[in-house]
Amino acid sequence: MSSNAIKSIKSLGVFQKPTIFDKGPGALLPAAYKKFYKEWRSTEPSAVHYIPEQGKWKRDEVTGEVNPVQNIPVPLFYPKEHNSHFWGGEGVVQGFQARSRNTRRVPHFWVPVLKRSVVHSEVLNEYFSIIVTERTIRLINANYGFDHYLLKTPACDLKSLLPLGLKRKILKELEAGCPNVNEEKRQEILQKYGKYLEAYTSEEIDWYGYSFSEACRRIEKQMEEQQTVVPLKHVYRSQLIDKLRAANIEEAMDESLKSSESGLANSWLQKINPFAKKSNP
Amino acid sequence: MCTNIAKIVSKSLTPFMTVNPLLHQQIRTTFILKRKFAPQLHKKGDVPKPLRSRHYIYELVEDTAIQKQEDIKVILTTSVEGLGNFGETVSVKPRYAYNHLLLPGLAVYATPENVEKYKEYAIDATKVQKYSSPNALFMMKILSSVTLSVVMNKDNAWTIQPWHIKVSFRKCGYMVPEDAITLPEIPIKGPNLDLENKEFFVTVTMNKTEKVNVRCRLHHWSTDIVERLPFAEKFWEQPSEAVCPEFEDVLVQIPKKRQIPVTTV
Repeated sequence: MSSNAIKSIKSLGVFQKPTIFDKGPGALLPAAYKKFYKEWRSTEPSAVHYIPEQGKWKRDEVTGEVNPVQNIPVPLFYPKEHNSHFWGGEGVVQGFQARSRNTRRVPHFWVPVLKRSVVHSEVLNEYFSIIVTERTIRLINANYGFDHYLLKTPACDLKSLLPLGLKRKILKELEAGCPNVNEEKRQEILQKYGKYLEAYTSEEIDWYGYSFSEACRRIEKQMEEQQTVVPLKHVYRSQLIDKLRAANIEEAMDESLKSSESGLANSWLQKINPFAKKSNP
Repeated sequence: MCTNIAKIVSKSLTPFMTVNPLLHQQIRTTFILKRKFAPQLHKKGDVPKPLRSRHYIYELVEDTAIQKQEDIKVILTTSVEGLGNFGETVSVKPRYAYNHLLLPGLAVYATPENVEKYKEYAIDATKVQKYSSPNALFMMKILSSVTLSVVMNKDNAWTIQPWHIKVSFRKCGYMVPEDAITLPEIPIKGPNLDLENKEFFVTVTMNKTEKVNVRCRLHHWSTDIVERLPFAEKFWEQPSEAVCPEFEDVLVQIPKKRQIPVTTV
């Protein structure tokens, strides 16, 4: 039986905890963002700080015992600053060093070596000065360029928000047909990088590379902009006029239901206002 | 847990988003660690067992940051001094390639597409200036900045021959074959103390293609210690005249090394 089947059987009758996409503003987020979030947070990144064992099974050389190969990844930490850098999949490893046989283990942090360097995006036609690791530069070289590297690599390996944001920018630029590049190069670049657009729809590109809180803020702002706020006094006024009309009162018949067309100018407040222009001198 | 979800997700993703290693050879530029004690095995399809303190004891397998990096191949999009001509594929150190060739736009990565694209340019010699060797331009610059000291006999008669120049070059550390040296048409004869510390030029032909004019300074030397002229320190910094006025036009064009500014009282 496959592990998926076992998992689904085990989850039968078990209460499913609501996830961040089931409550609050997270529930409003579109499927395009959920797809990105899965790619970013729920996909296992490629092994950087350890060498995964190959194969399904291995035999103990001494006892001849056969055991399954289970690669448990090395837990990594990402500090806050990480989101404004580009570490290329590296992270901080917290652990212990056993330096000699007869001494107690010593706590140790393996921290990546950071440096400031320049990356060049052909699609955006721009140079960026960012903090990177040596691994990032090697990956850029191995993928034949910054754009290729960003577009080929899944979000779980890019990890931080800086490269993810740049990737969204590049994808948007490609979708718009690279207006910032001069015409001679434009065709060449579109031909070179156009194939990466096939993996995304327009909405997915629009929602790519936001953190959960950024996405929530964005959707809330969108909802706010869509709503038109009607002052309550206008609502109550039209309700009152409706009631008066229902009671067949003559004065109410001429009044408009919309407050803007109403005779508010002749209201009692207008009359006692000493600074108001007098309509009937 | 994470691994299980990963498997599900990776199946549903498009080929561009798979988590397979990007390259055939994985790149690790970082601390590669190994657990000293292996974590406990878990059941198939189950959540991995929580890690204990001992599972956080790591041994360093390798630190790739201090390892030597392999050279990378780039195609030059302009003629780079000391490296190669337009369209040439060169293999250079990756850091130099990235900072000094790729970022300034002097070269592009040697992708199969780029190799195909620049193939025709490499053949078309009319489009670009070709040098006989990658070091030709560099050597031309160096030779033209040299002030060659030609030391001749103060007692016996001589006329400057190519082999005199060859020896003078050899004393300075340049191996120049005799047939590569062309002397000016006007012969220079001596010993003549009027010509002491005066300049002339010779033409050196490199690889039978590039020609460079080299500035020479004439000096007299005697085997007799008493007869010898006083030693001029840093003669190349002293201002001087041409051996004969016909040489002036050429000498003016040769770039000069640093000279002591003439002080006016």
